[in-house]
Amino acid sequence: MKKNLNVLFTLLVLLGIMLSACSAPAATEAPAAEAPAAEAPAAEAPAAEAPVAEEPVTADTLPREQTMYFNGLQWGPITGWNPYSSNNNNAMAVNQQDNALLTMFETPYAYNMLSGEFVPLLADGPYAWDEGMTAITFKIKSAAKWSDGTPITADDAAYTWATNIKYETNAGVSNKEYIDTIEAVDAQTVVVKAKLNADGKAVNPLLVANYLTNNYIIQKAWTETLEARSADAAAFKADPAEDVVGSGPYKKFFADETKVVLERDDNYWGQDASMFGKLPTPKYLAHIMYKDNAAGFTAFQAGEVDVSQQFNANIQDLWLKDMLPVSTYLPEAPYGIGASLPTAFFNVASNGLDQVAIRKAIAMAVDYDTIIANAMTNQSATFTQVPRSIMNPTAGEQGMYDQAAVAELQWTGKDIEGAKAMLDAAGVVDSDGDGWREYNGKKLSYVALCPNGWSDWQAAIEVVAAAGKEIGIEITTNFPEWAVYQTVVTNWPLPEGYDIFMMWSDGAGPAQPWARVRKLIGSEFAQTQGNWNGNWGGYKNADADALIAGIPGMTDPAEVKAAYTELTKIYLTDVPSFTLMYRPQNFHAVNETVWTNFPHDGDGTNPPVPPMDLVFGWGIAGLYNVELVK
Amino acid sequence: MIHTLQQIFHSGKFKLGFAIFTSLLAFIFIYPIFIPEAPLAILGQGTFFPPGIYVNVYDSLDTSKYIINQEGAAKRRIANKLSEDDRVAIKEYLVAAGVDESRIDITNTDELLQQWKATFDPKRSIKGFTNAKRNYYIRLNTALQSLYSTGPAIIAVNDPETNTLLESKKVTVTEYVNVNEVPTVRIFPLGTDNFGRDMLTELVAATKTSLQIGFIAGLIATLIGLTLGLLAGYIGGFVDDIINFISNLFIVIPPFVLLVLISFSIGQEQRGASTVAAVIGFTSWVWTARAVRSQVISLRNRDHVNLSKLSGHSIPHIILTDILPYIASYVIMAMILQISSGILAEASLSILGLGPKTTEVPTLGLMMNWAMIYQAQLQGNWWAYFPVLAVIALIAFSMNLMNTGLDQVFNPSLRD
Repeated sequence: MKKNLNVLFTLLVLLGIMLSACSAPAATEAPAAEAPAAEAPAAEAPAAEAPVAEEPVTADTLPREQTMYFNGLQWGPITGWNPYSSNNNNAMAVNQQDNALLTMFETPYAYNMLSGEFVPLLADGPYAWDEGMTAITFKIKSAAKWSDGTPITADDAAYTWATNIKYETNAGVSNKEYIDTIEAVDAQTVVVKAKLNADGKAVNPLLVANYLTNNYIIQKAWTETLEARSADAAAFKADPAEDVVGSGPYKKFFADETKVVLERDDNYWGQDASMFGKLPTPKYLAHIMYKDNAAGFTAFQAGEVDVSQQFNANIQDLWLKDMLPVSTYLPEAPYGIGASLPTAFFNVASNGLDQVAIRKAIAMAVDYDTIIANAMTNQSATFTQVPRSIMNPTAGEQGMYDQAAVAELQWTGKDIEGAKAMLDAAGVVDSDGDGWREYNGKKLSYVALCPNGWSDWQAAIEVVAAAGKEIGIEITTNFPEWAVYQTVVTNWPLPEGYDIFMMWSDGAGPAQPWARVRKLIGSEFAQTQGNWNGNWGGYKNADADALIAGIPGMTDPAEVKAAYTELTKIYLTDVPSFTLMYRPQNFHAVNETVWTNFPHDGDGTNPPVPPMDLVFGWGIAGLYNVELVK
Repeated sequence: MIHTLQQIFHSGKFKLGFAIFTSLLAFIFIYPIFIPEAPLAILGQGTFFPPGIYVNVYDSLDTSKYIINQEGAAKRRIANKLSEDDRVAIKEYLVAAGVDESRIDITNTDELLQQWKATFDPKRSIKGFTNAKRNYYIRLNTALQSLYSTGPAIIAVNDPETNTLLESKKVTVTEYVNVNEVPTVRIFPLGTDNFGRDMLTELVAATKTSLQIGFIAGLIATLIGLTLGLLAGYIGGFVDDIINFISNLFIVIPPFVLLVLISFSIGQEQRGASTVAAVIGFTSWVWTARAVRSQVISLRNRDHVNLSKLSGHSIPHIILTDILPYIASYVIMAMILQISSGILAEASLSILGLGPKTTEVPTLGLMMNWAMIYQAQLQGNWWAYFPVLAVIALIAFSMNLMNTGLDQVFNPSLRD
């Protein structure tokens, strides 16, 4: 019996080996079959695509030399293509925000984060405010067409807004306080009327203009089809919209839980001379869903990914050590353009953290150079290069406040003696000799937090904790899971053990730096529930609120600058939160094994194409410049 | 007792395992005496400094100079800045920029440099060259600057009053410093990790913590297993059924899954090193209990046990004096394995991010976890993970060796 079992077992093993042997060649053959397909169209002319014998391209046989691969954008299966929904989880096609995603749908203007410009996309020429700044008028390009060939009209724009309001979409809800109506004057002309306050002025002209770069124009005819088949608002927004009609250069090609592929629309209206004058170079945009950063990194290293939107630690090693054809927007550190300010917030309700001296002492003691060098592996400007303020490091924002006026208040970190002196002066001393300072008779002991698995943030929080020890304040770390963390920090009051915690700030966008400042220190978000905007530490300051409310209506640049300078002063004096590093809007590293001529500093484009992964905002223009490595 | 020890140390396997283990132990106790540094102190500004001796550049300027005319020094200096690959790349650039290929001799350094200097323009974009390549040429050009002149390099200090540079020193190519004379030298025998911590100091501290975790976990697991095994085996009947039922439950659920679930539900804030050790201990006692039970069952009807029963001894007395000594050798061996698997369990948990919380103590698993988060294994920074792996392997190897050695001594069927 035992012998029989042995024989059976051996047979099973043999069978297993044979099966795996059979499957192995199949796996290696697949790319071999791909290669000829990739070579054939190298002749490029449309004629090359004509031969009858050629197999139709499927998602598994994408010709490499016509496909641009991405990573770091899409982390799970997409759930839909519905531009009215905010739950598509579709990072290749639908995203209405600062620097909107412009592959399948288009906004009137594309925001260029480098120059701050509104580059006309669907719109024809710049927009214009009327006399009293109550309404914006812009025209739609006569060449602009939907992917079904019908022209895009002002009526589409008006109907999109009406639908956003009617079905309470994200775009509608977040803008209805500022935009009254959007109307079609004629087939080409659109008027966006601002909501007016008691004085007859626009409530917030900044956010009215913001709408033009952040929100899509969606086809009226398709919207009506969608309405016809949806029972209610929830169904309308939950529809996966497989039949959606867009206006962008790409359309849906394939999507499952392993990858998503967009295919170029060869009838795209933008090849008209009034826009790009040609089609974007890659025929396919593909995003494989990688398990984690490491998997995505390996693929990028191997040249299977062309554009990487991941935090790749020590990116410079790829070209310095591994000699790979990898490059970033800037050739040297910080390698990208910093746009947002990952920030540690103080919970002002914690023992002692209502005291400016304690908050500022902690912020001064932190070793930011180590955070930047170690946690960010130098992919951030330092605070010596870009002194701290409420502005991001872009030239445009840096020019919006008076640097000399706040120089006294700025700190570069690791100022242990200064921090100790500040605490001593405030009477926060170690009176019982246990090595830790007390406030109100209670030992100063805090927990610093960020979500688990957010490696650069975790490393940064470790450095913050190390600073506490130096100045006699006990700081321990805690990394809760994101699912827990996000519900806690967005709902005031914060529980015990949430004293110093990291969240983000706005990056680059048409309404910046105003929106960022508002979210960092504006009281309107302080101590609220369901707060996804900012000021999570609960800090309130009436002076800051008045300035924030006033800026959108200001027209004199000097006045605006004075207001921002004052706000920076308040922020650096009261220290309700402190920025730990600068972070690019998108990580943008490219592997030039297949494609080259990606946007990079000094590439000669005008307006400059921003390093936005070739899909966000005016970054989309990069798709027209890329070419194959010969 | 002495005889038993002699017997044990007669086993070659045990001796080898014991030697490895004690030298590891000795190292982790002696090292902190000589280098009493906080293991989590962040020293390096930057990630993953490679192993080596780091000499302070600033201080080395002030030490005495030694002129050494070393043969081949110039050649090595040039080779360091201008490798064979660089020469080929330069030729490629020159050809692309229109220099006649027959005029380029990549073995002639001076001529090549002259041609390069005359031709290279950082602003020029050459058709077919990628941006990565353009950046490479710009870096190469910067590196080559110092090769154009063979004169001394000048060190200057800034005069704060006039804001001008004052020459303070000249350094020629034949000058050397003696590392022993530089007051500030730092040796990183195993480089630094992603936080800029000294890997060796951290590794020593981590090994200590991991051994503690393994020891606590092993002790807890063995105690539970032993107690339940003894009770089930000796008392039998209903007690045996209950204990068997529980241990069957634990056997069906893979212990690692249980470990992951418990660690996750405890939450990070509660997970200190000792908590993790306890959790590991409470999930890995099952097989010890099983084995002890069967050994006890075979012992319980022996004559001396029956005699003890007849003499009216209590159950605890019988278990402790008549049964335990007979299985003690087995229990010790089981415990050694439990310790070793406890260390492995901690490492596996920490790699998943479910280990003890950081900042407080380093553990072997946490070091692996951070090395992986910062992609050390993908970027060739071997010193960030390989020594950790080696230590884990050494501990597990030495303990298993000791266990096998003991087995040879105590197991009659294996005795020579």
